[in-house]
Amino acid sequence: MPEPRGIDPRGPRFAAGVTALLLAVTVVLGLTGLSSSQDAAFGWFAYQPLATVAGSWAVTAVPLPVRLADPGFLLLTAITLLFLWSVLSPRTAPWGVLYRKVVQPRLAPPAELEDPRAPRFAQGVGLFVTGIGVVLHLLGVPLAVPIAAGMAFIAAFLNAAFGLCLGCQLYLLLQRAGLVGRAA
Amino acid sequence: MNIIDALIVLAALLAVTIGVGVFLRWQQRRPRRFDPTEVVDPRRLGATALGEAATLLQFSTETCSRCPGVHRTLTAIADDAEGVLHLDVDLTHRPDIAKHFHVLQTPTTLILDRHGVVQTRFGGAPGREVVELELARVTAEQVHA
Repeated sequence: MPEPRGIDPRGPRFAAGVTALLLAVTVVLGLTGLSSSQDAAFGWFAYQPLATVAGSWAVTAVPLPVRLADPGFLLLTAITLLFLWSVLSPRTAPWGVLYRKVVQPRLAPPAELEDPRAPRFAQGVGLFVTGIGVVLHLLGVPLAVPIAAGMAFIAAFLNAAFGLCLGCQLYLLLQRAGLVGRAA
Repeated sequence: MNIIDALIVLAALLAVTIGVGVFLRWQQRRPRRFDPTEVVDPRRLGATALGEAATLLQFSTETCSRCPGVHRTLTAIADDAEGVLHLDVDLTHRPDIAKHFHVLQTPTTLILDRHGVVQTRFGGAPGREVVELELARVTAEQVHA
């Protein structure tokens, strides 16, 4: 495989910062919304047949369209789709384009370029974590939205603030588990 | 849960995350010294020989964004020091080597003395001064020995 062209390492960190902010909002929406509610008559969906099961998780009791309409779920779904975009086409992903068009021209040129495969791997991990949250919420599992968003937030924030690199920390663990990087 | 409780949970999450970040940063810049037990065979790593005075043995992967920076730093150190060789081994498709050296994160750097004995280990991206200090210690010990 030819060596891919290097990218400005500050681009993925900028994207991680935006993503961390969105995930923080998702955590709050998830904790205040349907995902964490134990009130069967959640919000303005006073869903009559469920009044008798008060005390159980609302997300398990309400029908699918109500789960779909939860704001925390919708934001987590949007973030998941953005991760998918970054994995499939890193050059055109929105936060990367925003960085190159608006932020990068105002900064000094980067001291060194990095391999684009590293941030792409991290986006794949983000896609995996938030994707699980989306699926579990649709299946009616309580707290799926805030927990998935919280885990992805930790990784995104560490990337943005401390330069943590998931490809550095996780790749060899996955390799040991036999999931990636087998000799051809 | 009301909005105040949710914001408290978010603040706690942020505090824990910052704590983890500070700990990881501290741990990754710290050299760990080894009991000299293992002698590294350069042929196993695809190299013909080790450095005459010492070897900086770096492990990298394709998904590691910090490895190229560490590669440049270690190459510069090796160029400035007499008899020091820098080897960079790509573990992306070599789980056997990763397992043998117990490498769980990249970059991981080992400092070998002139006999190929592992003396120091860095997990993460160490600063140039820290590596040079350890290198000086490893090469100096051999002179006295």
